[in-house]
Amino acid sequence: MDRRTALKKTAIAAGSAALVPSLFSLLQSCQQQARLNWEPIFLTIDQAELVSTLTDTLLPKTETPGALDMKVDMFIDVVFAKMFDKTGQDAMIAEMNKFDALCAEKFGDKFAELDTEGRKEFLKQQESASPKYNGKVWGTAVGVQEPVGFYRTIKSLALWGYFSSEEIGKNVLSYDPIPGKYLGCIPLQDIGNSWSL
Amino acid sequence: MANYNIDAKKNMTYDAIVIGSGISGGWAAKELCEGGLKTLVLERGRIVEHVIDYPTMNNDPWDLELRGALGPDDLKKHPIGARAGFVGANNEHFYANDLENPYTEVKPFLWVRGHQMGGRSMLWGKQCYRWSDLDFAANAIDGHGVDWPIRYKDIEEWYTYVEKFAGISGQALGLPQLPDSHFLPPMELNCVEKDIKSRIEKEFPGRVMTIGRVAHLTEPLNGRGQCQFRNRCDRGCPYGAYFSSNAVTLPAANATGNLTIRPYSIVNSLIYDEEKGKATGVRIIDAETNEHMEYYAKIIFCNASALSTTQILLNSKSGRFENGLGNDSGELGHNLMDHTYRVGAMGKIEGYEDKYYKGRRPNGIYIPRYVNIDEKTKTDKFVRGFGYQGGGGRANWGAGANQEDFGADFKDGLMKPGQWEFFITGFAECLPYHENQVTLDKENVDKWGQPTLAIDCEFKENEKAINRQIKADAVEMLEKAGVKDIVGFDNEHEPGYGIHEMGTARMGRDPKTSVLNATNQIHSVKNVFVTDGACMTSSSCVNPSLTYMALTARAANHAISELKKKNL
Repeated sequence: MDRRTALKKTAIAAGSAALVPSLFSLLQSCQQQARLNWEPIFLTIDQAELVSTLTDTLLPKTETPGALDMKVDMFIDVVFAKMFDKTGQDAMIAEMNKFDALCAEKFGDKFAELDTEGRKEFLKQQESASPKYNGKVWGTAVGVQEPVGFYRTIKSLALWGYFSSEEIGKNVLSYDPIPGKYLGCIPLQDIGNSWSL
Repeated sequence: MANYNIDAKKNMTYDAIVIGSGISGGWAAKELCEGGLKTLVLERGRIVEHVIDYPTMNNDPWDLELRGALGPDDLKKHPIGARAGFVGANNEHFYANDLENPYTEVKPFLWVRGHQMGGRSMLWGKQCYRWSDLDFAANAIDGHGVDWPIRYKDIEEWYTYVEKFAGISGQALGLPQLPDSHFLPPMELNCVEKDIKSRIEKEFPGRVMTIGRVAHLTEPLNGRGQCQFRNRCDRGCPYGAYFSSNAVTLPAANATGNLTIRPYSIVNSLIYDEEKGKATGVRIIDAETNEHMEYYAKIIFCNASALSTTQILLNSKSGRFENGLGNDSGELGHNLMDHTYRVGAMGKIEGYEDKYYKGRRPNGIYIPRYVNIDEKTKTDKFVRGFGYQGGGGRANWGAGANQEDFGADFKDGLMKPGQWEFFITGFAECLPYHENQVTLDKENVDKWGQPTLAIDCEFKENEKAINRQIKADAVEMLEKAGVKDIVGFDNEHEPGYGIHEMGTARMGRDPKTSVLNATNQIHSVKNVFVTDGACMTSSSCVNPSLTYMALTARAANHAISELKKKNL
């Protein structure tokens, strides 16, 4: 099974993810002595650093909190540990290593070691090179979902972790657990930000 | 709430036994209890008390470590539920454990089950549509299957009867092919849906778009609260705002003092008395203790769900019925039907950026059947028809995954609602084919030693032809409605995805070609009634549950009347 066929079976949603094995595997660099302020339960320190810097680049702190403020990197570590089965974990790690190897090949170093501009430049390339998710009807993709690869998968997980966090869900987005009624056509300005639920 | 018969030996004999407590079983229990019959409801799963047993009903995403997703261990229990795409951490406990309840897919078939008090009434889509004579006469007119022994006039008053109690919200339209229910106020369409509705109705005379007709209360009814638009239905509704056995029919049955529910009761078979020519009771296995025991009653209602009822009847063998109870015709287990699923079109809408909505409406739009409804709309491509469900809304942060962007502006932009999107997906009527069947598989037994089902079913050329038109028409309608970036789709799902299994113990006029008569009694064993999906002679293109409710109430009241006349 080649990677494309293997990943064709990939099913990633905002709320679920599962990966099938990839035959590709790359040795991981162990040189970097990373500094994290949290202890991963699944990822190595290097991998956790990649996830941290990646999610920070995707969703940086502005007037609103960034991915790291919402501990999105820690959440993704938990997702890998507890939502993925062994096969999915192995595939994810292999893909992650390949991502970093490509980064090193093109930019001379691993993603976490690049400066901000370097990280952005690599992600721009990934963005245009990565396939997209199909539309969904009632939670399931329509048509045949092509594999979206590591970048779009991790981006999807980062968005999920960020926007489903309590701070964003309750205090940044519009939170209304018991709407009480349905109003089908109202001015957006009456609501402001998107509904969180 | 109810009298739980945990002490199995206490009372073995009742006036009536109801097998199953889902949508149809709950109605049977209510009607029989209210008719004065001491009724035993046998439920193969656990007790689920309204509200008390809805542990996840108020969860926000951040209340769960995986924010609502399932881990691999939980997912392993639900390969079928996961294939259907609806199972998650907040509703996992209402989906049967697929590993403990195996079946064989001779051809791919998705069989989603809910093994608890209330059954799949906890999980259903709640769309409720009356059938019309277009449906009841369909087999007779085009020669597929056998004729229904009833027509709309036979069931009309029973539709009204169940609707008044269940509570159906919707918009009256006066369409002959989709008779109006007794409606509670309709839910509202949103801005984009209203726009698309007016464009489709202008561009395609004869086609109509309306708000879905649903078993959600839009005003209080019988002490139940109205919908609060949380859209957390499949966790159990604390307001009892949608119709479930747990919130609606079983409490009514219980209020009579005539109801006993026995949980963990897997029915093995019905007991047939050759001398009396009747069924006298049922054999059950206690799912927890594996104890085998028998219960007796004057009448038995089979409401285990289409396939489980069929499984029980096939397994009820006697000298008189070597091939399953009431199976003189050889049709028991045959003519399995579902609806096709996930074929249609979706796209994006320009404009309405300054408009939004409030509330999470557990409902969408409906486009009733418009093909083959009269001479003018007749097509030579297929028989029968289809309808669409769908809806519109604004994209949220989830759309960010596909956007070719990231960083500060990207993140802040995702705080605002995204573009409006709209989709419709069709449901095609499936013909009753004798060869689409279930059989007992004695080689593969479950953990209770019970033979499992082998399911051999497929959609054929007529369903595929309907699907082709569903997709083409969907794309065309969206184009004419001004929708952009349209994607037509047909996931070619195998049967079962509709979760509308029907037909494996069909009603009919002739005992030689059908299992049940016009009042849902087994032709040759009149004190056994089947009123779940198994009884359906054809499948229509509309959702079937409302018709199960009406047929059940009708049959139960017939049973009570016949018992009084000492005819049973």
